[in-house]
Amino acid sequence: MASSGSGYDLSASTFSPDGRIFQVEYASKAVNNAGTALGLKCRNGVVLCVEKPLLNKMLLPNSNRRIHTVDTHSGIAITGFVSDGRQIVNRAREECSNYEETYGTKVPPTVLGDRLAAYVHYFTLHGSLRPFGATALLASYDTETKEHCLQMIEPSGVSYKYFGCAAGKGRQPAKTELEKLDINKPDRGENIDVREGVKQLARIIHLLHEEGKDKPFELEMSWLCEESGWEHKGVPRDLIKEAVEWAKKDIAEAEESESEEDDDDDDDEEMNE
Amino acid sequence: MSRDSNYDHHISIFSPQGRLYQMEYAFKAASSASGLTGISLRGKDSCVVVTQKKVPDRLMDPQSVSHIFTITPQIGCLATGMIADCKAQIQRMRYEAADFQFKYGYGIPVHVLAKRIADIAQVNTQSASMRPLATVCMLVGVDDERGPQVFKVDCAGHYLPFFGTASGAKEQEAMNYLEKKVEEMKDYDADQTVRTAIMCLGSVLGSDFRGSEVEVAMVEGKTGRFTVLTEEEIDAHLSFIADSDA
Repeated sequence: MASSGSGYDLSASTFSPDGRIFQVEYASKAVNNAGTALGLKCRNGVVLCVEKPLLNKMLLPNSNRRIHTVDTHSGIAITGFVSDGRQIVNRAREECSNYEETYGTKVPPTVLGDRLAAYVHYFTLHGSLRPFGATALLASYDTETKEHCLQMIEPSGVSYKYFGCAAGKGRQPAKTELEKLDINKPDRGENIDVREGVKQLARIIHLLHEEGKDKPFELEMSWLCEESGWEHKGVPRDLIKEAVEWAKKDIAEAEESESEEDDDDDDDEEMNE
Repeated sequence: MSRDSNYDHHISIFSPQGRLYQMEYAFKAASSASGLTGISLRGKDSCVVVTQKKVPDRLMDPQSVSHIFTITPQIGCLATGMIADCKAQIQRMRYEAADFQFKYGYGIPVHVLAKRIADIAQVNTQSASMRPLATVCMLVGVDDERGPQVFKVDCAGHYLPFFGTASGAKEQEAMNYLEKKVEEMKDYDADQTVRTAIMCLGSVLGSDFRGSEVEVAMVEGKTGRFTVLTEEEIDAHLSFIADSDA
């Protein structure tokens, strides 16, 4: 299915005859092999979540982080090549501190997102550089307009704002699950709450993870909400634990009710919160 | 054609036939990458740009999906092609416009900005290190000396003024539609200009659309600012068009 590229895929500064840049497409493929990252813009905050495969039993838990704080009001979740991701995070931190030094205020989300996108895009222009093999999910808060915002920056340098976004291995089924949530209602007040968002993301990650096939993983979650004082912080450990327990229970109940569909009383099985 | 070796396809050098393949491929990327069509035209004292608004993913915030950009309060731009390249181009345009204002103390005229960006785009077709940007930009503004201006700047560094023009997937069909109206267009007032642009897009796409599926922006008069129309304003124009057809 994949075209061979046949010589047009050797550098980022080459177009193919049908107008594609293969190096950028290959960079996206690198991201698709990595652990799933999810972002959710809730009514009162943003939640980020990354499935971190545990490659080695000797690793200390909570080391080798995928979610980074770039400023008090902004955080980035990385998936793909972690080392490439670190470069993007470093650049974001520089942008934040430069902006604050020049303009005296925290960098607005759109500006930060656009600058990061332009930075990532730059690496798709030159033959001497390769594109980043990482996608960044940026959660940030605008201290002026009091609006929170979720953006995703892809290896091609394209960045959009999202209500919900997914990147990495499980992005397709994750997106299907995200669309089922209340995140884009016309009346914003009806959208999902941040604590509920934490539970739902934990559920989606566990749903996607196949026991025998994928490696054991650690769940990294962070949020930026009223409860955290509009600062980007890790979701409290006990909340994650609670969410994971609820998620496992919910998935088990869903499986049970599916297997009981042959019986006549499937209506009695309600999904409890 | 078969004498052209593969070497010509990699960097910006001439083929034995005298063609620049990388530039041609950039054009292809610019017109087919996004699948969108953009139209711009000018009337007696106003200019309009119109394009489709396709939100690729239901999870995306529609506000962040746009191909229409403000360069200065008086100059706007419709950029079709690969969106990341478009944004890079726009960023450079904004910088050049701001630099001009700083150096010379007055707002950059549309044709000066178009020429500057075209010259910058040309460099990429001659250098080996950077590829051309897969973007076709239509700059619009009302110049105090020359009146309404529409300039199209493409990947190769061509820039030309137009009465009306199009870019993107259905470029040819749109231009054919506009050619038939080119004589009347010169006397159109603002409303007529907007409606003609919308009707052109509608006829080229072969289907009707709602206010949320198109983006429209315009500049009116010498003191006008480049403004993006709201959904309500677009719907009002669409209703007027529908009524006058019925």
